[in-house]
Amino acid sequence: MFEIRRTSTRVWLQILLSVLVIPFVFPLVAMVQGSLAGQGWGNYATVLSLPLLPGFFVNSAIIAAAVIVLVLICTMTASFGFSKLRIPGKEIFFWALLACLTLPGVVLLAPLFATVTRLGAYNTLWAVIVPVAALQVPFTVLLARNFVDGIPDQLIEAARVDGANVLKIFWHVMLPLTRPIIAAVGVLVFINSWNEYLFPLLFLQSPEQQTVTLVPSYFIGQYNNDQTKVLASAVVVGLPIVIAYIFLQRFFERGLAAGALK
Amino acid sequence: MTARTPGSTGRRLKSPPGWPWILPALIFSVGTLYYCIGYTGYISTLDWDGTSPLQQSVGVENFVHLFHDPIFWRSIIHTVIFAVSTFVMQVVLGLVFACLLHSKLYLRTFYKVLIFIPVVLATATVAPVFRQIFAADGVLNDILQAVGLDSLARPWMANGAFALIIVIMVHVWQSTGVTFVLYYAAVGQVDPETIEAARIDGAGNLRIIGSIIWPSVRGTTIAIAILTAIGSLKTFDIPFLVTGGGPSYATEFLGTLIYRVSVSYAQVGYGAAISIVLLVLAIVAAIIINTGGRRGERADV
Amino acid sequence: MFPRLKHIRAVLAGTTVLAVTAMTFAGCGPSKSTSDGGSATSGTLNWWSWTPDNDLAEREIAAFNKVYPNIKVTYKKINSDQLAAVLRPALASNDGPDVFTVNASGSHSAQAFAPYAYDLTPAMKKLLGDDWKSKVFAPGANAFTVKGRLVAAEWAKVGAGMMWINQDMFDKYGLKPPTNLAEWKTLCATFRSKGLGCFQEGLASTSSFGTDTLHSLVNNVDPNAWPNALSGKGKWNSPAFVTALQELRTLQDEGILDKGAVGVQQYPDVNNAFLSGKVPMVQMGTWYSQYATNDSLDAALEGAGVPAGSKKVTIMPVPFPDVSGKGIPMTVYSDPDAGQAVNLKSKHLNAAVTFALWLGNTPEGAHVVANNLDEFPTLKGKDVGPQWDKVSLVNPKAQLSVLQAQEKQLEESTAPRNIGMSAEVSQALIDAEQAMVNSSKSAKQVADTIQAAADSGQVH
Repeated sequence: MFEIRRTSTRVWLQILLSVLVIPFVFPLVAMVQGSLAGQGWGNYATVLSLPLLPGFFVNSAIIAAAVIVLVLICTMTASFGFSKLRIPGKEIFFWALLACLTLPGVVLLAPLFATVTRLGAYNTLWAVIVPVAALQVPFTVLLARNFVDGIPDQLIEAARVDGANVLKIFWHVMLPLTRPIIAAVGVLVFINSWNEYLFPLLFLQSPEQQTVTLVPSYFIGQYNNDQTKVLASAVVVGLPIVIAYIFLQRFFERGLAAGALK
Repeated sequence: MTARTPGSTGRRLKSPPGWPWILPALIFSVGTLYYCIGYTGYISTLDWDGTSPLQQSVGVENFVHLFHDPIFWRSIIHTVIFAVSTFVMQVVLGLVFACLLHSKLYLRTFYKVLIFIPVVLATATVAPVFRQIFAADGVLNDILQAVGLDSLARPWMANGAFALIIVIMVHVWQSTGVTFVLYYAAVGQVDPETIEAARIDGAGNLRIIGSIIWPSVRGTTIAIAILTAIGSLKTFDIPFLVTGGGPSYATEFLGTLIYRVSVSYAQVGYGAAISIVLLVLAIVAAIIINTGGRRGERADV
Repeated sequence: MFPRLKHIRAVLAGTTVLAVTAMTFAGCGPSKSTSDGGSATSGTLNWWSWTPDNDLAEREIAAFNKVYPNIKVTYKKINSDQLAAVLRPALASNDGPDVFTVNASGSHSAQAFAPYAYDLTPAMKKLLGDDWKSKVFAPGANAFTVKGRLVAAEWAKVGAGMMWINQDMFDKYGLKPPTNLAEWKTLCATFRSKGLGCFQEGLASTSSFGTDTLHSLVNNVDPNAWPNALSGKGKWNSPAFVTALQELRTLQDEGILDKGAVGVQQYPDVNNAFLSGKVPMVQMGTWYSQYATNDSLDAALEGAGVPAGSKKVTIMPVPFPDVSGKGIPMTVYSDPDAGQAVNLKSKHLNAAVTFALWLGNTPEGAHVVANNLDEFPTLKGKDVGPQWDKVSLVNPKAQLSVLQAQEKQLEESTAPRNIGMSAEVSQALIDAEQAMVNSSKSAKQVADTIQAAADSGQVH
């Protein structure tokens, strides 16, 4: 954006950028440094040698995958419906959904919890998957609807003229065109469900079913936290999301760029 | 946050009913979430410790009590300070990063990733790091002493004003990545020819940001304002984990107040009343910003 | 900023509300176990608690298995500020823990979880006789009896009243522990001149860790003032409190209490500063004895990020100085720390009862608890304390006799620490201390706010 005519300008801007980034990196450095204090890499060895650790990763992955699938199904169908189909009073429904965005988590838990125990879902992965997914849908629908609004109606009409029914239009026209927003929603939902801490803590009791976010708690003592290993496990838990973001960064930005929050 | 008038093309009327398409989302989210609101609303009229079988209905007494609670008003003030300052800092930083990273600089992806990493890390995992940085014998004071600014070193967390600043800074650290990505996308959509034309007219970089880019990304700015307002009202994890709401309630927010009241004091009814007020405030804030922003947009045209 | 993003932890706040619903839908209250409870000597048990830490629990379970090899116990440690939230859905479901630990007061109190707990009275009578109450620490037995049912079997108590010093730092500069205000002041000036801190307590703590210094100061003026205020016989704004609050401010003004106390938590901040040799004196209680043992200190130093192989500190309890100058000796005050409750719905009810009672109410169980030097058994009798020959101390020569004397003080202690204190008063005390070290309000004004909180039952 900045026009760079001279090398000196470039150097100055590069320096400016670097200086501005320092505060963002500093805590990360402190975190990694802290995770290497005391026993050094031994902290990581301890974290990685937790016998149940692979299971935690598997559970987190299952939960994340299921949440992504559920959210995407709800989001893509709803955004298609809201944006391209005739629904009487649909703005009312849309705002009803958006109002949920303003819901503080505080308000949600009691009834969600009641439902979980009532349905006998306690101690199953569903008890985490369903509430986590339900909480994300309002925001992802908002994102995706704005994106779908940007798809010209003519494309849909053309397909209809060709004799395609709604299902086919959704499958063959909508979905291919919405790939960027699918990717953006996917990354977003992945971050949220991977970091989900409270629902696994409350609803999954047996160690075989717990998730990676509960790993640091293994090193939190009654009196004293084993800070170095808490940080080491934070790094171990955070790494997959950072990597996922790095690889999907392009799609993520494109998805947001192509219509979200215009 | 756009709400469009339905049926911009008459031909859509012929379409088959669309409601089956939105049903999954509605049942899934709205159903569950509205049930929650109703339930909390009911509890807010009770005097109840959360476990005893005795539930005494007290009508609006919890709400009356709330409006006479000085800590509640302090929480509101903190929320406003927090909302305004985090909004300004995130917008400025987000936009500056977006513009810098659209320029032809080296290692752009690298910088982007660094700015975004804080977003993906859970607060619970980074809170101890910040406590350590700002501790009396922490990294920040070490640095100040190393560069000869000993007089500035102090127990940061012990001072109410600094504690609030720390909470704000941690939030900005954690969420600038999001505003940056949104602005980065928005700036990318600004018509390059407009910028080129301005340049030919002799406009400098800052002038272009002020008079071309800033107006073009207005929609994004409004969206960020709404998300900031709602997010500020919901603020809980950073004050809870970094400062514990203290010292002496200096970083108390509605979320931490609800926690203190309903978990520590077991005044569940009162906690529910605060939750309801919070919910109303969040919706009102969203509507005000949205309509205000739209009016501004129209005035521009 | 994305809406998700912040709810993760915020939802914690809903935990109590949540509990409520749990009970509503779970049918509110105890449902009788249908089976006969199974064998008392075999089965698999899940035990959930915030105390002790994993390594200590392993030792306790191992000792238990020497007596009951066919009862397999799996320990799950849950952070104390989350325990209530985690327990409620679990106990409402059919997959809850068999044994869970409750406290005498607070969010996970015996009172709160009584509906889910099996009445241990008959089992206790069988184990200790009809006069069982006289054989255990009475405040605990009372606190865990809810509506005539023994909800939990007490197992341990902790005390406070002393402070702890880093003996190595004192030796290095040839200094002696302070016995009065003047000595304390001189001592701190010396430590500060070496670039060190002096005395710390974390006043940002939310638990009773933050009230012990004030408690000790009050006792030093009038040993009856605190117990009386606690029981309602006295006032929180009585002259002893006003004097003690003023003394707290003096401690900071005279350079004794490190500045910034309102910004630090007892754990991990103060604890790490002390164990890593930055501060020579801290306010801690009898539970701190565990860091006189090699095992616990190693683990704590590792957690504090101290490089492996560093020299281990010799920590020593010393009497709290006579700040008021009245010559009143230190009082050790103590509270029951925890009790083991048995889930009514446990599929191995009888085995769970065996384990819950064994830990605190048999000599073997009491020993293994005592040997950790974290808590002291509540079972009375000659032979329940630590088996010192099995405890590996960092510096036995210096520490052994002092710790033995301290255990005796704790065993004999009758003064209450904070038992029965409401969360509001507890918060008001913390607020009062913060006001004393961080504002210019008068001690009288500040003391009045504590009493006001006690009167209204609410802090605001």
